[in-house]
Amino acid sequence: MRRIGVFICHCGTNIAGTVDVERVAAEIAKYPEVVLSTDYKYMCSDPGQNLIKESIARHNLDGIVVSACSPAMHEVTFRRATESAGVNPYQCEIANIREQVSWVHQNDKEAATIKAIETIRTIVEKVRYNESLVPFSLPLVKRALVIGGGIAGMTTALDIAEAGYPVLLVERDDHLGGNMARLSQAYVNFDGANDLLGSTIERVTHHPNIQVLTNAKVSEVGGYVGNFIVGVNTRSNGAAEPFSFDIGAIVVATGYELYKKENLGEYGAGRYPDVIDGLQFEQMLASKDGLRRPSDGREPKEVVWVQCAGSRDPELHKSYCSKICCMYVAKQTIAYKKRVPDGQAYVMYIDIRSQGRGYEEFVQTAMENYDVLYLRGKASKVFQENGQVTVWSTDTLTGQNIKVDADLVVLATAVVPASGAVELGQTIRSAVDEHGFFSEAHPKLRPVESNTAGIFLAGAAQFAKDIPETVAQASGAASKVLGLFALRQMVQEPTVAYVDPELCSGCGLCIPACPYDAREMHSWQALATVNAALCQGCGACAMVCPNKASKVRNFTPHQILTMMDAYL
Amino acid sequence: MAEQTMSYSEKNIPISKVLIIGAGIAGMQAALDIANAGYPVLLVEKLPSIGGHMAQLSETFPTLDCAQCIMTPRTVEVGHHENIQLMTYSEIESIEGELGDFRVTVRRKAAYVDWDACTGCGVCTEKCPKRMTSTQFEVGMGRRKAIYTLSPQAVPNKPVLDRENCIWFQRGKCRVCEKFCPTGAIDYEQEDYTVEERVGTIIVATGYDLYPVINMGEYGSGEVPDVIDGLAFERLLSSSGPTAGQVFRPSDGQEPKEVVFIQCAGSRDPELHMPYCSKICCMYTAKHAMLYKHKVHDGQAYVFYIDIRSAGKRYEEFVQRAMEEDDSLYLRGKVSKIFRDGQKTVVWGTDTLTGQNIEIAADLVVLATAMVPRLEGKLIAQMLGLPTDAHGWMLPMDDNIHPVETLRPGVFLAGTASGPKDIPETVAQASGAAGKVLSLFARWDRTRSPETERLVYA
Repeated sequence: MRRIGVFICHCGTNIAGTVDVERVAAEIAKYPEVVLSTDYKYMCSDPGQNLIKESIARHNLDGIVVSACSPAMHEVTFRRATESAGVNPYQCEIANIREQVSWVHQNDKEAATIKAIETIRTIVEKVRYNESLVPFSLPLVKRALVIGGGIAGMTTALDIAEAGYPVLLVERDDHLGGNMARLSQAYVNFDGANDLLGSTIERVTHHPNIQVLTNAKVSEVGGYVGNFIVGVNTRSNGAAEPFSFDIGAIVVATGYELYKKENLGEYGAGRYPDVIDGLQFEQMLASKDGLRRPSDGREPKEVVWVQCAGSRDPELHKSYCSKICCMYVAKQTIAYKKRVPDGQAYVMYIDIRSQGRGYEEFVQTAMENYDVLYLRGKASKVFQENGQVTVWSTDTLTGQNIKVDADLVVLATAVVPASGAVELGQTIRSAVDEHGFFSEAHPKLRPVESNTAGIFLAGAAQFAKDIPETVAQASGAASKVLGLFALRQMVQEPTVAYVDPELCSGCGLCIPACPYDAREMHSWQALATVNAALCQGCGACAMVCPNKASKVRNFTPHQILTMMDAYL
Repeated sequence: MAEQTMSYSEKNIPISKVLIIGAGIAGMQAALDIANAGYPVLLVEKLPSIGGHMAQLSETFPTLDCAQCIMTPRTVEVGHHENIQLMTYSEIESIEGELGDFRVTVRRKAAYVDWDACTGCGVCTEKCPKRMTSTQFEVGMGRRKAIYTLSPQAVPNKPVLDRENCIWFQRGKCRVCEKFCPTGAIDYEQEDYTVEERVGTIIVATGYDLYPVINMGEYGSGEVPDVIDGLAFERLLSSSGPTAGQVFRPSDGQEPKEVVFIQCAGSRDPELHMPYCSKICCMYTAKHAMLYKHKVHDGQAYVFYIDIRSAGKRYEEFVQRAMEEDDSLYLRGKVSKIFRDGQKTVVWGTDTLTGQNIEIAADLVVLATAMVPRLEGKLIAQMLGLPTDAHGWMLPMDDNIHPVETLRPGVFLAGTASGPKDIPETVAQASGAAGKVLSLFARWDRTRSPETERLVYA
């Protein structure tokens, strides 16, 4: 006889507003071997968890069903509570009556209540046949791979290396520094970008714990968190076998590129030499020969900056805001005016986005102290005439049409992921979004983690961000790596596949079915085996096994059938 | 860079323990990163429970995840973590010393409840006869008792007694909470006391406040009843809030059908208020307008803005959704005057795109008031000798490449202490501060134990 306790969460009104939780509790109380069925406002809160712990002791429970939100939210919370009360954590299961019941059936409370009862019954059946399991441990390689040698990757590498762990820094270019090396000065203090970068490059290059591979590319990644095997190709070893490294954690810091200005034909980019992008203007600013426009080397006296060139344009280009352009354009206008005091700078914008400490004031300085003329409106037409680039626009504040005969047009082109990001995502098995930016595990609370265990994100690979935000986030990625390396060993969930050797015929169907390369044949017996370190417990092998020899722990065919019986 | 160097003798070994000041989402994130790596954390919070402003929020942009739902696992983990020494309802009194060995004095305020004896059953709060407006957590939108916890999900789930409102302390009779407490945990004799702790590093995560409406004459100086700030509106939207998620206007409890949201209230206004942009308001206002429409289907939301600042992953698309799917009417321009007319709150503004004057007879006005540094943060900055800007935001060592370090070795910044930030940026930066601390601790550990070093390089 099992002694199962069922705990039904109101989730405030999230569940209780739709599901009649008291009726559910009363119905479940009648179910066989359920010795306690109760409800509470927030089961995840301290008093809610205490209710579970005290009930385990008082009613001598040996199986726990918490019916609440998705197990993705609180399975760990409730399993921990169960364990602290002396019951094996794998005897605790979640019945999801929020995402799968109350949220999707808000208009039918009766049906939602019945569905909640049925859902909980199935999970009671599952718990009835759950085994008590113990997680197993795996070795952990304490060496990090950082992909990308820009300011993000270098910052991460230094933080990890300073802590004493070896770091492999792979950069596909022939030098470190990334896009920051192409900048003149940083906003808002006009510190020289290469002065800031120089000391970082110096420290990375000479750090005893950092191995830098330039002209190098990550070509393959196998294994899993704590035990990745990474192949790196360098130009020096050419088409030969890639170098292979044992790696515990990977940080993706592949950065950004500018959207090709040739895509922006509406602004004459690619056709007119004096229509350039933001990074080209940075190079002009950094040049020692003074500010000279490409077509004829003259100093430009009238310069137009066009913001949102390719950004915030869901019909033609990128739907998103590229985040950094408003600020670097303001910086470029000031830098320009410092060089060419009798010049005039115009900025065409939709919204000015100068967010954060000191940023608004910086843009105001450009307007007030450097007479930069900000015009609200998108440039409608750009054409070349008499050695000048004429820009047509409408000032949306006055409604007036504007024509500027410019010597130079600078397009603040959209920020896009570095080329090859999508392929890299496939290589390392980490998701990217529809634009090619790497996906974070949670947009609010897990911004530096990817969805793949052991792979972390730093800098603009995740989304456009400026240098301060990039650097802070890069140290954040380092902290995740250091947290991982602080462990003695890796702990792996025991809810993975196993093979009943009595039933296995050695047909091998499970091997191609496994998406994680966790299945292989026994070296000399007609028997399929499971690499438990790679297995994620998805159950694909159990599906294809004709003899029910491949099973997932605590998700056996017998359990699934009794769960279905409970529903029907 | 100015290397964080230190010298120490065998006797004076650095302490691999961190003090984190402030237990909002920034302090909690840094605490968990460090504690999960196996190092001890002293987490000090002024309020009775942890979670900071995020605990007050309803749902979060751009996914509309409920704030409680995503944060509760964190607060519970912090509350239970074996490496986190949590001191809530506590204030930093002094900090002395230097990198590797700071001596911290913490004042533990009298809760008038013996937290060791208290089980958090809530009977004291239920029975307490004194009820008043909760100005702090509920931002005036709800009520609390004289003995209270901030929220039903409070961590730790222990009440504090507010002496100024307690009938026993003020009039010498009552003691109802004592009478009903099943464990005898009420202690009217309790006094503040101080404890001293030693830590090797410090993370300052003191967060922000909202600029008071009372300072803004143009918006009624807080005297027009249906003019509230963004956090108050969060409480009205929150399903675990004082109205259980029902939107009503404070003056008469009616459901508002016309709601005006005013961005940059006190921000970007160098003449009268704060010159800077508060960074988060455009996004939370779009969220407010959206959630309002989800609750009041026949309502209309108006948003006054100067520029729409939706710079972030999926942010631009989110604002577009507020406009297109939830019919929020965005009006470019600032509001010049707000005044009461009968049951209505009249808003005068100018649409700078058409040049037309606009008058809206609104039921409710929500001001996206400026973020300002938290008052206690300024005191901490003084105590630690950290430079701040003219408004009190703490300055990092260098804005570009040392955004979480300060000029004081061993002291790091997390979250909005160093300027307005939204939650993802705060969390990433808090992990960044934790990374710096972990890097130092790991180095110190190896100095202490060459054995470890060999293991690491093996």
